[in-house]
Amino acid sequence: MKKFAWLLTLVLALSLVLSACGAGATPTPAPVEKFRVAVVMPSAINDLAFSQSMYDALVRVQKDMGGPDKFEIVYSENMFVVDDAAAAIRDYATKGYDLVIAHGSQYGSSLQEIAPDFPDTSFAWGTTVDTFGLPNVFAYEAASQEGGYVNGVLAAALTNTDVIGVIGPIETGDAKLYVDGFKAGVLSAKPGAQVNVNYIGSFSDTALAAEAATTHIAAGADILTGTAQMVVGAIGKAEEANVLWFGTQSNQSSLAPKIVVASQVYHWEVVLKQMIDLIQGGTLGGQSFTANLANGGEVIEVNPDSNVFDYAKPLAEDTVKGIIDGSIKITLP
Amino acid sequence: MISDLFSVTVLVGILASGIRLATPYLYAAIGETFSQRSGVLNLGVEGQMLLGAFAAFYVTLTTGNLWLGLMTAMLVGALMGLAMAYVTVNLQAQQGISGIGFYLFGLGMSDLLFQKLMGTVETVKGFPKIHIPGLSDIPGIGEIFFSQNILVYGAYLLVPIAWFVLNKTTLGLKIRSVGENPDAADSLGVNVGRIRYFTIILGGILSGVAGASLSIALLNVFQQNMTSGQGFIAVALVYFGAWRPTGVLGGALLFSLINALQLWVQVLNIPVPSEIAVMMPYVLTILVLVTSVSKVRAPSALSKPFEREN
Amino acid sequence: MTESNKLPSGRSRIDSLEMRGITKRFPGVLANYKVDFDVKSGEVHALLGVNGAGKSTLMKILYGLYHPDEGEILLNGKPVTISSPKDSIHLGIGMIHQHFMLVQTLTVAENVALGLPSSRGALTDLDRVSKRILELADIYNLKIDPSAYIWQLSVGQQQRVEIIKALYRGAALLILDEPTAVLTPQEVDELFVIMRQMVKDGHALIFISHKLHEVVEISHRVTVLRDGRKIGTRLTSETTKQDLANWMVGREVGFVPDRGKVEIGEIRLKLERVVCGSDRGTPGLRGVSLDVHSGEILGVAGVSGNGQRELAETITGLRKVTGGKVFLEGKEITNLAPGEITDRMLSYIPEERMRDGMIKDFTVAENMILREHHKLPYSRYGFLNLRGISKHADDLIKQFRVKTPSQETHAKNLSGGNIQKVVLAREISRNPHVIIAAQPTRGLDIGATEYVREQLLVERRKGAAIMLISEDLDEILALSDRIAVIYEGQIMDIVPRATATPEKLGLLMAGVHP
Repeated sequence: MKKFAWLLTLVLALSLVLSACGAGATPTPAPVEKFRVAVVMPSAINDLAFSQSMYDALVRVQKDMGGPDKFEIVYSENMFVVDDAAAAIRDYATKGYDLVIAHGSQYGSSLQEIAPDFPDTSFAWGTTVDTFGLPNVFAYEAASQEGGYVNGVLAAALTNTDVIGVIGPIETGDAKLYVDGFKAGVLSAKPGAQVNVNYIGSFSDTALAAEAATTHIAAGADILTGTAQMVVGAIGKAEEANVLWFGTQSNQSSLAPKIVVASQVYHWEVVLKQMIDLIQGGTLGGQSFTANLANGGEVIEVNPDSNVFDYAKPLAEDTVKGIIDGSIKITLP
Repeated sequence: MISDLFSVTVLVGILASGIRLATPYLYAAIGETFSQRSGVLNLGVEGQMLLGAFAAFYVTLTTGNLWLGLMTAMLVGALMGLAMAYVTVNLQAQQGISGIGFYLFGLGMSDLLFQKLMGTVETVKGFPKIHIPGLSDIPGIGEIFFSQNILVYGAYLLVPIAWFVLNKTTLGLKIRSVGENPDAADSLGVNVGRIRYFTIILGGILSGVAGASLSIALLNVFQQNMTSGQGFIAVALVYFGAWRPTGVLGGALLFSLINALQLWVQVLNIPVPSEIAVMMPYVLTILVLVTSVSKVRAPSALSKPFEREN
Repeated sequence: MTESNKLPSGRSRIDSLEMRGITKRFPGVLANYKVDFDVKSGEVHALLGVNGAGKSTLMKILYGLYHPDEGEILLNGKPVTISSPKDSIHLGIGMIHQHFMLVQTLTVAENVALGLPSSRGALTDLDRVSKRILELADIYNLKIDPSAYIWQLSVGQQQRVEIIKALYRGAALLILDEPTAVLTPQEVDELFVIMRQMVKDGHALIFISHKLHEVVEISHRVTVLRDGRKIGTRLTSETTKQDLANWMVGREVGFVPDRGKVEIGEIRLKLERVVCGSDRGTPGLRGVSLDVHSGEILGVAGVSGNGQRELAETITGLRKVTGGKVFLEGKEITNLAPGEITDRMLSYIPEERMRDGMIKDFTVAENMILREHHKLPYSRYGFLNLRGISKHADDLIKQFRVKTPSQETHAKNLSGGNIQKVVLAREISRNPHVIIAAQPTRGLDIGATEYVREQLLVERRKGAAIMLISEDLDEILALSDRIAVIYEGQIMDIVPRATATPEKLGLLMAGVHP
């Protein structure tokens, strides 16, 4: 009987593994010319944030390259346990994928161990600029401070209370770049405004993110922004209080069409295409790439359903133009 | 600045936030209190909460009926509890391991269903705030205590009910005795297995409600792994509360209020590194636990399968 | 129904209860085979037998905890089915278990009310329960506070709670499973007073024991079980202790073993003004000096809790010596690690054999090599030699007549006497130079007791120095060459056996110099 209990537990555990691997994980023997990409991500492909930005980009690349016959995508999502992610990365490398993407800076040390074992496989990881000096590792990052800056300029122009709230996960990496850029944007347009920043210490605690939003609003904020996947809880609170929201990583307009003014969206396909070209030319790594406003890796998408669309759209375009042509310099703290 | 913390707005904000944040902990931890008092350690709470959260959200999204959503969450929690009870009572499995199994099942299954049935994060209109006439107009107090949604009120109502059931009813007497000395209870004709089935299923139902309180009352979204370890904290709160509903209430409020406080500490730009701020609830809760010397022991039969000796 | 048919508790009497042809098999064991047993209102019927004779099994069948494979139960002449304790309680049968079935964290009233319907439906009615408890306590002269928590009560008081629990449920027939095993002599007397009162009032009592003098003192009839079979039933007044003892073990029992003449040799174990603490932080030993010679048994007599445990533990290295010295064969061993001490051929038969003497979930064979497992032939280079272990176990099982289905049986499934034989076999088979035996026969039946004592005498003849710590004065007097009396951590006196009398020892044990 006790054996059966173990078996049951095993089956239960297995069901997690299966669901975590996702539906796309059905590798088929590839014709020679097919380019095969595997990606390991910390959250879900539809998190409206970090992971979705990469997945959407891969799908766009696939379309450009001629569909699933020419470009195969497999993914492992919700790999918030780094050890599991490392196992998945190794597995994909063993199966001979052309490019294995470790989409999360927490996977760096695992990749540093794995990559030398597979010299013929190309790896990419982000967001970072560090390739560990390995010839088969690409690094990529987003200049998310640029989009943050644009969002900040818009926020400064739209606030009435001159108090703006920011919710972040952990004070590091992509999130810190975005938050610092946002702050710089607000202060450049309205030096007297107050930007309150709240890092909640978690990428997944939706409830705490929501309560952080409520706290910002109680402290007088009439505009909020936030980064990472747990902010979906905060967007709901902003909508309840009818407070404007600025998004990043993916377009978050669908969640709350009335209050989302603009979202910085990553178009990783810009860096992906450069990597793919290099791989097909025989270079497997050793370079790092940045997605930014200038190369189209970052796009500010102003929500057409927003009440302030007509005002925000030209202001956003002007700011983007200024950053690209260098007339606006972003100084981070 | 630190002095900013002592304004009415901030104090009201902290109390109102703390009371909301404590809600899911209360449901889950009171449910866990019942099962632990009967001698069953259920580590699957997190999984039950996640599936409950998804069930409530999805049914509400598709039918628009919040009550139907809530009831589905309770049903899903009850079914998870039923399975857990079968594994722990009939198969006498090691409870820690099987509990982790149920957690992983809930985590994986809620994610899978979310992918298949929804595919993207959406929102619903959750349980509205209920303003209690007269009381909710009192400045400060009104916002803290009398302008919350129904599931928040329910969580706090649950505490005295649980206390009453455990201490003043024959059922409570049976639950306590089964958790302390199942052999003695058995010798007096108490059906140990049936009592444990009851408490595990009750725990499942309350965990389901805990999940629903997040997805259709407090946040009104569903996202994978949205409980973010709250189920495990609920289990820890049962220990913190010394297996008493009032103790659990104290622990849940303490943890949540400090969490609300640290949010304000950051928002008010008090110069504390964010890393330190987010640690505060955990550190202070541990400090209270180790400094308040408690003689209360865990139920003697906790996590021990019951088998008639041969 | 006439008034005389009622018990003081208001419940009708059970005039007669009869068990016929009861057979119960467990895997590998025939626990009961065609056993007949009956009890009547107004009598104490003793059920006597050595450990493992099938007494508890028979009574658990009567109480509905086990189901018989064959046989029937008749109550007042009518067949009844008892499939659970609920049924037996309903029929008026109560049981006082050897290990109390009480919930320590609940009050007396809560323990009594547990499992019963309440007069207030779903709500408890502890005030009414308490009132009824006090009524019953008054009728049967059992002093008890209904609001006290069980953990606050002494063992004797807890037993009273068990009796009240049964009476509250209307028990007319009460099974007492070795009720005196845990009681002090004074508490035993109090229990007997209660039992006599209950019998006078018309209750039927079944008294399970393996203590002959208690059976003779309290029972009207006695039934003896051996190896699961009924040997016979007699009126107690028509039998003697010697008869019953022979029935129990199936042969003539020599109560005083032949000690034989042995040359007393050199000093093997020496304690010099040994001082140590107790678990409660109070002084445990306060300057104990002792010698034990080769070929000698030194008996250590005393009332429990006067430093006996501390004495055994300081010698074996389990407790820190804070003053004085211990020598083993001339070499100092004070505060050495227990393993180093036992490696110098000191063997220890601990008082708590279930806790300190063996590992319950290990097999008999594994328990037999606990002490020497790291040596040849049981292991080599860290690998166990299973063949050597198995042969060793087979030899010892035969030599020490251990009753076990196999050497692979888990120790916890053996009876108390056989567990002690396993410990004894392990400790003695290594030919120790010194043996510390703490309460080696406590809780054992006559057969096992006799066997253990014989083995100690065999070792004495072989020249071992033996310290026998026991509370059983008869045992001390039967085995010892010299007797040390310990009182409050000090040795009152050491007397040669020839001049020792129970009266003299009794005074010393009470701390009085005669």
